[in-house]
Parts: sequence; structure tokens; C-alpha cells
Amino acid sequence: MNNSLAPAASPLNLKLHKQKRSKPTTGKILMMVFLCLIALIQLFPLIWLIDYSLLKSGDFFGSSFLKWPSPPQWENYRNAFTYGRVPRYFANSLIITVITVALSALVSLMMGYAFTRMKWKLSGIVLSLIMMGMIIPIHATLLPNFILFNKLGMLNNMYTLILPYSAIVIPMSVLIMTGFLETIPRAIEESAVIDGCGIYGVIFRIIFPITKPALATICVLNFISTWNEFIMANTFLTSEDLKTIPFSIMKFAGEYSSNYGAQFAVMTIIAIPTILIYLLFTEQMTKGITAGAVKG
Amino acid sequence: MHRVLSDKKAIFLLIAPGLFLFAFMICIPIFMSAYYGSTDWGGIGKYNFIGFDNYREILFHDKVFWTSLGNALLLTAATVFLQHPFAILIGIFLTNSGKYEKIFRTIFFIPAVISVVVTAKLWSGIFHPNYGLLNKLLSGVGLDSLTHDWLGDPKTAIWCIIIVVMWQGFGYALLLYYSGLQGIPSDLSEAAKIDGANNYTLYTRIIIPLLSPMMRVAIIIAVTTCLKQMETVFLMTNGGPANSTQFLGNYLYKTAFSSSLYGYGNAISILFIVFCLVLTVILNKVLKKDIGEF
Repeated sequence: MNNSLAPAASPLNLKLHKQKRSKPTTGKILMMVFLCLIALIQLFPLIWLIDYSLLKSGDFFGSSFLKWPSPPQWENYRNAFTYGRVPRYFANSLIITVITVALSALVSLMMGYAFTRMKWKLSGIVLSLIMMGMIIPIHATLLPNFILFNKLGMLNNMYTLILPYSAIVIPMSVLIMTGFLETIPRAIEESAVIDGCGIYGVIFRIIFPITKPALATICVLNFISTWNEFIMANTFLTSEDLKTIPFSIMKFAGEYSSNYGAQFAVMTIIAIPTILIYLLFTEQMTKGITAGAVKG
Repeated sequence: MHRVLSDKKAIFLLIAPGLFLFAFMICIPIFMSAYYGSTDWGGIGKYNFIGFDNYREILFHDKVFWTSLGNALLLTAATVFLQHPFAILIGIFLTNSGKYEKIFRTIFFIPAVISVVVTAKLWSGIFHPNYGLLNKLLSGVGLDSLTHDWLGDPKTAIWCIIIVVMWQGFGYALLLYYSGLQGIPSDLSEAAKIDGANNYTLYTRIIIPLLSPMMRVAIIIAVTTCLKQMETVFLMTNGGPANSTQFLGNYLYKTAFSSSLYGYGNAISILFIVFCLVLTVILNKVLKKDIGEF
């Protein structure tokens, strides 16, 4: 990144022709150096994570920060899979996350439509009740939910996580959806109704395709928060077979606690799906977070 | 059209699933908390109603509760006075960094999408007294005397937590301020430049004051997220050593599940919710007035 001011031979360069480019000043170079430094701070733990996941456990106590893994210890990943029960927990996380994401997308589409288009007396009150959910700390519901699930004999089930996960993302999802729906002209729906389309047809055949960008944003945000959720899973699940991916790392607390290489491998495996989703959908996520914040 | 849009049955079917889910998972638990919060329940067996005794105990005698609130306040102060100015500065740099802007923006946000389980473990590794990076770095530059058991010392542990939370949340703050900067029309800065403003006056007199609506949003978000802080603490120190890094979420969890004081824990839950609601309402009112001056 040192030559960040020199024109690079990349397609990105095309954009530059439109901008008036002055010669790089000292201030600009300093600014770039500073930005690179911050980028390094933000990325360093990640680099460290991946580097150490490929080292021998013995290398951890050396004096260097980073060490070129030669040869890379892929065995750490193999150990992670067996000791950390990664395949099982990964599958559990995937099932729970996918169902939660789908459910919350559907619910937010339905509620968003009812809040922005339909005419009913309680609309305002119900919407503010839902929006209060953004302020309420979810940790305060941990304890009563535990008691509730315990009484209903529902602990140790996948839906013990899916239900609260879907509930806590409703406020944000509805906020994004209503914000998006308000920008869409109603003329299309009106002509559809005149042509004899019912309310469900309007929502699922006309509104659904139009709201795809908002739904994408909602899905990406909810995927990341659900995949990373830990504290509820820690509270509501005790069965080894149902645990989610963050628990792989907890497996290393006891007998395998000195196997640092495998631990770092597990952490890399946990981190990669969300980073990938983020890199693929950066714009959707950015839009969702800023839109949610400005209206909230 | 009107007939279709006021179809009561359709409205019910559209709203009911989400509303029931929300009510069952969030509203009913809060009422349950209020109920158990006025008992001396210990998790199993019978319990007695003791009225507001739990609340009185928490508010007037429970030091850990107030430490938890104090820590949340400290974290909020650090976020607002250290992280936010920094985020504004970087945001300004980003808007001037040309074609690399998107790459930097993407990198800065990456810590925010990584699971707290991973980042907490990683940073615990960095602060580790034996193989931790921080101590290695200090010995490397000849400052052996400063090496430390960072998370084991009540004086430094809270700052370690604050650094980790600020590091992970930096992307969010930056994103908010960056989008706020994008929303400021560019003819304003062009006009100022024509009038002879240099970069410094341009930013301090024009751009930063125009950011204040976004500051309001960012501050409210910072206060509520700092108050709600739990996962990082839970995984790095579990509130210790000696409750010096305790936060409300973690404290109520510990009270209920480690000490089996379910009634007391529920009372903390209720106070936690009340604090969050009251603070948000107050902040909304106070900060709105502030912006009215522009």
C-alpha cells in the first residue's frame, strides 16, 4: 500500500479520469500512511489469528509476533474438527441461522406492509411497541426466558434459540422494511388491485420482488448477529448435540487447553462465514446500518 | 383500494405472527421478571413475596450494581470522547482518500462482524501474561518493567475491556459519521473554499457543526450499547477481578445462575430495562434541544 498515490494499472483507474487530481501533497501522503496504520490495527488480530492457526502449539511461546508457517500446520484444522466437534456445531449454527433469517425476513415483510400501507387504528401503538424492542436490553430477558422455557419443558431444543433470535431482530428488520416501503410509489399496487389482485397477491407477487434490496439487507444483518450470538445459546442449551459453533472454542477449556494451534484454527473457522458474508454484501450491510440508525 | 387495505382479517394475519413472537419472547418475559423480582425465589421450591425489598437492597446497598453502572458510564465516556472524535477524523480522511476509500471502509468494519467469542479470546491472548502479544511487545522495546497481568489486575482490566469494545465498535461509529459526511452537500465546502476558508476552518466551522444530527444518533446508540455491554466482559473477565469489570448484564446473569438468587436477579433485570428506557428518552430530549440551535 506504499505506492497508494501512484496510478495503478487497474480498472479502478478509469474512475480517476473523472476526478480532478492534484499532485499528492505531504498532507495527503501522511493521511494515507495514517489510514494504513489504522487498517493494520483493525486487521492485525485477524492476521495473527490466521497465522497462529497454522503454527505448532510450541511456537506460541516464542518471542516473535508473527512467524511464517513453514510448513503450515493443517493438522490444527483436522484437530479442530475432531476435538472441537466443528462439523456438528457448524451444521447446528447453519440450521438455526438460516431458519431465523428466513422467518424474520418473512415477518418483517408482512409487518412492514401492514404498518406502511394498511389502515388500522392500532398501527401507531403497535409500531412503537415493537420499536421499544430496540432499546430494551435483551440480556434482561435471559433470566425470565430461561424460567419460561424451563417451565414449558422447552430447554434443549433448536426452537428454543430460533424463537428468541427471531424475536430480537424484529424491531430492526421492521424498521428497515418500513423505511424502504415508504419510498415506493403506490401506483403499482393500486393498478394491481384494480386488475383484481388480492391483498396477499399484492404482497407476495408485487411487493416481495420490489423489496428484495431491503430484504437482502435484513438477511445479511440478521445472519451476522444470529451466527455470532453466544449468550442465549450458552443459557438455553446444555445438550452437547445442539450447541452452536461458538461452543467449539469452549471445548478447549479442559483437556485440550494447551492445543493452541487447534484453538486458533477453530476461531478462524468461526470468523470466516461472517467475514465472507460481509465482504459479499458490504453495500447492503452499510445501507442497513445507516438507514436503521438515522430513523431510529 | 381502501377496502382492500382495511381488510381486518388480512391485517391480523400479517401482524399476528410477528407480534406474538415479539410478545412471547420479549414482553411476557419482562412481566415475569417484574413478578419474580418481588420474590425471594432461589431457583427451586417455594418463594415468598417481599414487595420492593429486592429493589431497595439493590439501589441502596448493592455496591456491585453501582460499580456496574459506573463501568457502563466509563465505557460510554471513553466511546464518546475517544472513539467518536477519532471516527470523525478517519471519516474525514476517508472522504478525501479517493479510490481507496471503499477498501479502507471495508477493512475498518471487519472486526465488527467477527463473533465476540473469537475477538474476546483473541484479545485475552494479547493481554495474556505469559504468551500475550502486549507483553512481548513491551519486552521487545526494552520496557520489561511494564509487563503485566493485564486482565488480572483490577486497575488495568477495565481499560482492557474498554479498548476491546472500542476497537470492535469502531467500524460502526465510523460508518455512521462517514455516512453523515456523505450527506453534507459538496457545494457548501466549495463555497467556503471560494470564500477563502482553509481546510481547518472548513471542517471546524462548517462540516463538523453540520454533523451534529449524526452525532446525536451516534451518541444515543453508544450509550445504549455501552449500557448493554455483556458478551465481551462475560468471556474475558466474567466481571472480575473482584467485580472491577462488572456490567449490568453480566451481573444479573451471575447473580441468577451462579448465586441462584433468581428473585434478586430478576429485580436487576427490571432496573436494567428501566435505566435503558429512561436514559434513551432523556438523551433524545436533551440532544434534540441542542440541535435546535443550528
